[in-house]
Amino acid sequence: MSQASSRVLGVMAAAPAVLATVAVLAFAARELSGRTPLSYGRPLNIAEAAGAGEVSEVLRFLRAGWDPSQVWPLRPEIISSTVTRATALEAAIWGGRQPLVELLDRRGFIRDAETRHHLACLAKDIGSDEVVAYLSPGAASSCEPGAAFAVLKARSNPQ
Amino acid sequence: MIELRPTRWTWLAYGYAALVACALGYGLLGIPVQVSDSLNNLVEASQGSLYDLVYNQFFQRGYLRPFLWGLMRAVFDLSQGHYFEWFRGWHVGQVAVLSGLFVALLRVRRAVDAAVVPLGLAALVGIHTFSGTIREAFPINTFMTILLCCFAAAWLALGTPRWWRDVAAALLLVFAALTVETGLLVGVIFVAAWLAGARGLSRAGVAAQVALVVGYFVLRFVALGVGAPGLEERASGFGFGVLDRDQVAARFGGNPLPFYAYNVAVSLLSLVASEPSGGVFSVTQRALAGEATAINVVSVGSSLLGTALIAGYLWARRREWLARRFTADDQLVAIFVAVAAANVVMCYAYTKDVILSPAGAFYALALAVAARHFIDRASMTPARTAAASVVLVLLSTGWAWRAVAAQIDLRHAGNVVRVEWAYVDRWLERENLTPTTDEARAIITHLQEDAIWNHPARPTLAGDWLGWFEP
Repeated sequence: MSQASSRVLGVMAAAPAVLATVAVLAFAARELSGRTPLSYGRPLNIAEAAGAGEVSEVLRFLRAGWDPSQVWPLRPEIISSTVTRATALEAAIWGGRQPLVELLDRRGFIRDAETRHHLACLAKDIGSDEVVAYLSPGAASSCEPGAAFAVLKARSNPQ
Repeated sequence: MIELRPTRWTWLAYGYAALVACALGYGLLGIPVQVSDSLNNLVEASQGSLYDLVYNQFFQRGYLRPFLWGLMRAVFDLSQGHYFEWFRGWHVGQVAVLSGLFVALLRVRRAVDAAVVPLGLAALVGIHTFSGTIREAFPINTFMTILLCCFAAAWLALGTPRWWRDVAAALLLVFAALTVETGLLVGVIFVAAWLAGARGLSRAGVAAQVALVVGYFVLRFVALGVGAPGLEERASGFGFGVLDRDQVAARFGGNPLPFYAYNVAVSLLSLVASEPSGGVFSVTQRALAGEATAINVVSVGSSLLGTALIAGYLWARRREWLARRFTADDQLVAIFVAVAAANVVMCYAYTKDVILSPAGAFYALALAVAARHFIDRASMTPARTAAASVVLVLLSTGWAWRAVAAQIDLRHAGNVVRVEWAYVDRWLERENLTPTTDEARAIITHLQEDAIWNHPARPTLAGDWLGWFEP
């Protein structure tokens, strides 16, 4: 057996696996230093956390005193480039996340019937039947199709 | 047997294994203690004394796993309330020891020995049977404990003869068998190694292993009447779908033999081809529909290529084996063959990837041995070297790909567990597990604090590239 050939084959066997390990370790080191590659980073506010479905982050924002019924800016990659300003309640609905909507509701953040109706109509506009069923199945029939979504779009693009 | 002195290649291999353990450990520390499968176990294990907990487990129906609970309780007590640090740290420690044992079993002395370690470790981490040993914990992953016991058994069996190895082997088998049923594979390893010429254990030591396995069955089925889980206790993968418990009972209740034969056959196929998984031919189904993903193709392709390499090794060594002349590498591959056979038989009533994890781990070892043999034989001419290079690059790339996919899966698991913790109240209600004692409530609150506030979720990965790694 040739020593050189053996060395070449050894490198061929080892290199891809070693590269993968090095890549994972480099990723971990970069993340530990404060920046996560190949991600959008941490949600910047409670609406981003809700829109991304990161419910544990929503809880962290809530404990820190953030208001999920307030309008917050959203980066375009969280929901879409047309929805860049929303409440956490609206963002949660956008993700079709009924349990999160219920969690926020149980904590009293859907404060009045008007808000509930708006949220139900938004859920209907984006086809999230589960959320419609939870929020207000009867009232959703009185929604003007597309109106709730239009409110969000208008808010995101005021000009 | 001659003990070989370590070389720089030995230490390089251990160093690399440490890096792999670090990479995996980083992923493991991103997962909190789970809600499902862990929370209730932890609360139960915290009650009463350690003795009562272990003793009572001898009188359960269907399962005989007293040391699973004993170990859980021991770590619980040691943690002094630092549950995340201890239970997750325990998991990381297990992975580090497993990686070290992997290298020890390969007996790395030459450059070519060290060269196959990355491929072997990638196969160990990337094989689908390993996923359940790192993705979950109960809160100690029992299957990972058994992997360690199996590797430790192989290390004892393949070493130089010493009286204490017999004693350690007996204790290891008792501990493993009374932790979870697949622990009986420890006995299989000792017997297989002995039949393949390894003399780490004496004849008496191997006889004791056989006696202990017989004793286990007498204890379980005669003395304690624990029995085995019934056919109707679990849903089960079958063909392109999953049969629920009633369907299994209706279809095979009268004559379960075809069902058992199916489970054994698909378990073997799963081990050597990564398809089916859990008894379901999902990749085949996707392929027929033209929807197979990149990772589906890579998984099946890398497994088939790896199996072909191991089969090539067995073929090349067949005359030596028939003449009962075994090298150290042969002994390792012989253990793989024995563990694979016994492990797939153990899946007769219920096939699940993680139950095959011991066979999967020895598959990775056998693959590394076969690759080493392949390199030794393939570099005779330039043409053969070139062809072998292509095979090795494909093999290593495929398994590395799967190892990276396992890392991504761990990250995903961390987020899934945190979602469970966010909705833990609903889960407790649904499962009728609402805590009734202050101690149980305190454990739940502590674990939720750990999962959401003390060890927050890492940012979610994003980008089209993820599609290359998702099943």
